[in-house]
Amino acid sequence: MSSSDLPVVQSDYKNMEINIPKTSMAFAALLRADLTTQWRNRRSFVLVLLVPVIILISWKSVIDKLGGAFALSSCMTIGLVAIGLMGYSNSIARDRDKGIFQRLRVAPMPLWCIMASRLSVQLMMILLLTIIVFIAGYYIDHITIAPVGYALTFFTALIGGAVYLGIGQVIVGLIKNPETVNSTSRLIYFIFIMVGMFGEFGLLGEQIKKMAVWSPYGTVKHVISAGMEPGKWNGETSIALLVTLGYAIIFSAIGIKKFKWDSR
Amino acid sequence: MIHTQSTMDHQENNFVLEVKGLNVFYGTFQAVKDVSFEVKPGEIFGLLGPNGAGKTSTLSSIEGLIKAQSGSITVAGYNAAEKPRYARASIGVQLQFTSFQPELTVSEIVRLYAGIYGVAMPQEKLIDLLQAIKLEDAGSKKFGQLSGGQQQRVSLAIATLHNPSLVLLDEPTSGLDPQSRRQLWERMEAMRENGHAVILTTHSMEEAEAVCDRVAIIDHGKLIAIDTPQNLIDRHCNQPEVIKVSRRGKITLEDVFIGLTGSTIRL
Repeated sequence: MSSSDLPVVQSDYKNMEINIPKTSMAFAALLRADLTTQWRNRRSFVLVLLVPVIILISWKSVIDKLGGAFALSSCMTIGLVAIGLMGYSNSIARDRDKGIFQRLRVAPMPLWCIMASRLSVQLMMILLLTIIVFIAGYYIDHITIAPVGYALTFFTALIGGAVYLGIGQVIVGLIKNPETVNSTSRLIYFIFIMVGMFGEFGLLGEQIKKMAVWSPYGTVKHVISAGMEPGKWNGETSIALLVTLGYAIIFSAIGIKKFKWDSR
Repeated sequence: MIHTQSTMDHQENNFVLEVKGLNVFYGTFQAVKDVSFEVKPGEIFGLLGPNGAGKTSTLSSIEGLIKAQSGSITVAGYNAAEKPRYARASIGVQLQFTSFQPELTVSEIVRLYAGIYGVAMPQEKLIDLLQAIKLEDAGSKKFGQLSGGQQQRVSLAIATLHNPSLVLLDEPTSGLDPQSRRQLWERMEAMRENGHAVILTTHSMEEAEAVCDRVAIIDHGKLIAIDTPQNLIDRHCNQPEVIKVSRRGKITLEDVFIGLTGSTIRL
């Protein structure tokens, strides 16, 4: 290849202008790329959205007994666990291992843009999950809630999602190897679902049932459920909300503190 | 809107890069020991050293990936510690272990980095860029589907998207076939002709001799020699440790390198 094939560059470097891109421009470019990546990553996409719908279908015959809010909040909580543990932590671990973050870090933009873009995509996933669970609940199980319940659930789902994103952040903060992150997040996902769901039903004993209620699974589910039925919001719900916020803050703080941009 | 500022106002001397008294520690281990050097515009500067000598740590400090414990780095007149975004905007980087999101196509990756570096990238410009790197038909291919040489070309094109005054290439030719390697050398030489400074790390002394105007040899974190390849050969050709490792009767840069850094294999 001759030099004439190359992109044009100026000969006098002292006259070269330094372009410091506006942060919003860099963030928009990152967000577009992260959304495209998420869209093309169909396996985790389907896993996150399909499992709650399948549960709603399988619970069709017992919805009257369980209650609409219980069913919807359980499905949303399972979806949120999947977003934080299976989706977020694995994508961060993979990109870190491939050196994608290192390449982004040498660019002239604030570091927070990289993670803010990733988190924005996950927040959109949470909103999408909430909408899909509502739609599936309506068409499959004919569950309807008050309009204010729909609006409140978007907020409670975001708070609940923050807990699991925080746990995902802790996992990638403590573990560098992407395969280990993958197996650990699957294990924790399994434990949350088993202890959360079966524990809540009392199938694992009274002690586990008490633990499940105040576990990240239990408090998130409680808050989401109460968001759907604001009339039933009580003192215990407020404590569950505080505990949920506490989990989100603690897990996020640990995850951010321990996080390394490079896996080597 | 893009904030622009000419480097002219900040240029106190004629160096694109000035590294002074750089010290880098990993815990108690000192990877870089009091390293100082300068790079001029239009110069290809080779950073040579055995495995673990401190090359990548030096380069990572310049890129802003790791924080030096002491010393200063000035890029295009900007102190990297005081104005990191300006310093980074003046650098084009091809890292040793770089990959791009495998789900994104080549065009999408170029657009992503154009956005990050504040470079407008209309469709015509994108096509021109892909043509320049002989990848006009690969714009819709995913990065992971490209060959090693094609990936290197994309990576180098992205490193120079924003027309930086300094380009850092960390072992860019490792794993490339001879044709791709020669092509990369020509691209580096073209950058030099256009006034860009290039810092290259490599384990290939043949490469350093072929393309570098000056080389610095780092060993155990210390800069032990810095000069043109020919001057280094001339200066050290009579040293017994260099003559001892010479294999072809004629002293090469590799002989000087091994003579200065020792024959022991580094892990």
